[in-house]
Amino acid sequence: MSVRLTDITEDMVAEDQIRFPRVFSMTLKEKAIRTLVMGGGTLILLYGLNRFGFFSDKFWGSLGKLWTMFGQMFPPTGWDQIDIFAHAIGETLAMAIIGSLIGGILALPFACMASKNLMPIRPIQFSFRRFADVLRSADYLIWGLVFVRALGLGPVSGIMAIIIIDTGILITLYSEALENIDRKPIDGIKASGGGRLQVLRFGVMPQVLPVLLSNALYMFESNTRAATILGIVGAGGIGFLLSDNLRAFEFSNACTIILMIIAVVYVIDYMSKKLRERFIHGDRVSQGHDRPMERVARKMNE
Amino acid sequence: MMKLESITKEFGALTAVDNVTLEVPKGQMLGIIGRSGAGKSTLLRMINRLGDATSGTIIFQDEDTVVDVNSLKGQELRDWRTRCAMIFQQFNLVPRLNVITNVLMGRINYSSVLKTLFVMFSPGERALAIRALDRLDVSAQALQRADTLSGGQQQRVAIARALVQEPKVLLADEPIASLDPRNAQIVMDALKTINQEDGITVICNLHTLDTAKKYCDRVVGMKLGKVIFDGHPDELTDEQAKDIYMSGAEADEEFSAAITSTAI
Repeated sequence: MSVRLTDITEDMVAEDQIRFPRVFSMTLKEKAIRTLVMGGGTLILLYGLNRFGFFSDKFWGSLGKLWTMFGQMFPPTGWDQIDIFAHAIGETLAMAIIGSLIGGILALPFACMASKNLMPIRPIQFSFRRFADVLRSADYLIWGLVFVRALGLGPVSGIMAIIIIDTGILITLYSEALENIDRKPIDGIKASGGGRLQVLRFGVMPQVLPVLLSNALYMFESNTRAATILGIVGAGGIGFLLSDNLRAFEFSNACTIILMIIAVVYVIDYMSKKLRERFIHGDRVSQGHDRPMERVARKMNE
Repeated sequence: MMKLESITKEFGALTAVDNVTLEVPKGQMLGIIGRSGAGKSTLLRMINRLGDATSGTIIFQDEDTVVDVNSLKGQELRDWRTRCAMIFQQFNLVPRLNVITNVLMGRINYSSVLKTLFVMFSPGERALAIRALDRLDVSAQALQRADTLSGGQQQRVAIARALVQEPKVLLADEPIASLDPRNAQIVMDALKTINQEDGITVICNLHTLDTAKKYCDRVVGMKLGKVIFDGHPDELTDEQAKDIYMSGAEADEEFSAAITSTAI
């Protein structure tokens, strides 16, 4: 029989509350966990803020100074040095591009070794994963410092730092993509008599390639941002000029540099996002299961 | 009563639905048959405005209201979608939510947005959801996550979600195309029961002729976006069925209704 909300009586509700108590209210345990998590979170936050002086007069009093500093940044100056800045930004970009390219390629064989489905020998797979963890656990600046000590000042140290981090993160991202692939095409290639390399080439690669490229591009964006500050530890690029000007209280020069960095990072992010959408889009179009006509139309438009 | 008048849908150069005119009386169980790509899904999606028609009008009329479907927007459009429920080939439940919450989604347009965002539904609505699940024999799974259910169970949950919307019309887009024959039968039986007991108009896209013949009062055959048959399922001759399901060169081959059958 049909049931409408207006037909539901209090007796029916009472009856259902006995049959399915958890549909009507949370259990005591769930309520307790919720209270604990919310209360605990608030407490940790308040304690931490207080401990580090966020509620002190010193913090609120210095906000004025920050404002003055901002005031000194405008109008931006140093346009006579613009060619020097531009050259340094070019160096920064070159560092990001070279580091990302080498890291992106280097990570692929390591990622295969670190994937459970491609490397069945567990201890080897496990140790490649941990190796990746070691690479990425120290941040860009720390590797930058290490390489500046070993190789001296300049972009080479920055590129090395980027390669290390890029490889470390991409091994993890690549291998997760590799582990999440669909078995069906692989079985299809195997069933046609394909060997290991052919399975890798036709069963695995077409599935993951867009994801890998997208990951590598995402890292390139991240590397561009990292490259702008690597100069602070002497590892080449615009960061050196920026920290130099900040230390000399040349805030308005620093402002020009910061604006240039923002513009460059914005352009790189935008281009990379467009490219990534391309890869992912091409990958996902075929999901329109219930809309065959729209799928056909989309294909025709392309 | 629902009236579709010269409905056309174009995707660029492709005409998916071509000048379709249909009148569906209240309480009818209508089956739309045709090959993949005949425009069945596109037509259905235009009725509840998941897709917009390129031209033509859709009028819904009952005792107290007249709705000009194509002109709706905002709250009026959401109200229309609530009254014109839809179930899908892939069930379209939210996999990570439990079954009862999925069914309660059928009530989200009945109370304030803020309340629904915190999943605050009244005890009466919760009881209603349980009754709907009872009716489709899946209430035992009420607290399980939707993605732990079998396809047949998921489709029944989807029907329960549609039911608590208290709709006037139920659109079913290939509801059994992803199900095994046994589950397909359970789902089609449920749709028929709802149609007969609740007086809800059911418009159902089907791949197969025999399912349409078994369950529907009326069959509409579509081919390349056009309606090429409209009548009682018994009036459909083999010749016409052949025309619906076959094209060009294939048409010379011998046709038997069995090839479109999944025998449920």
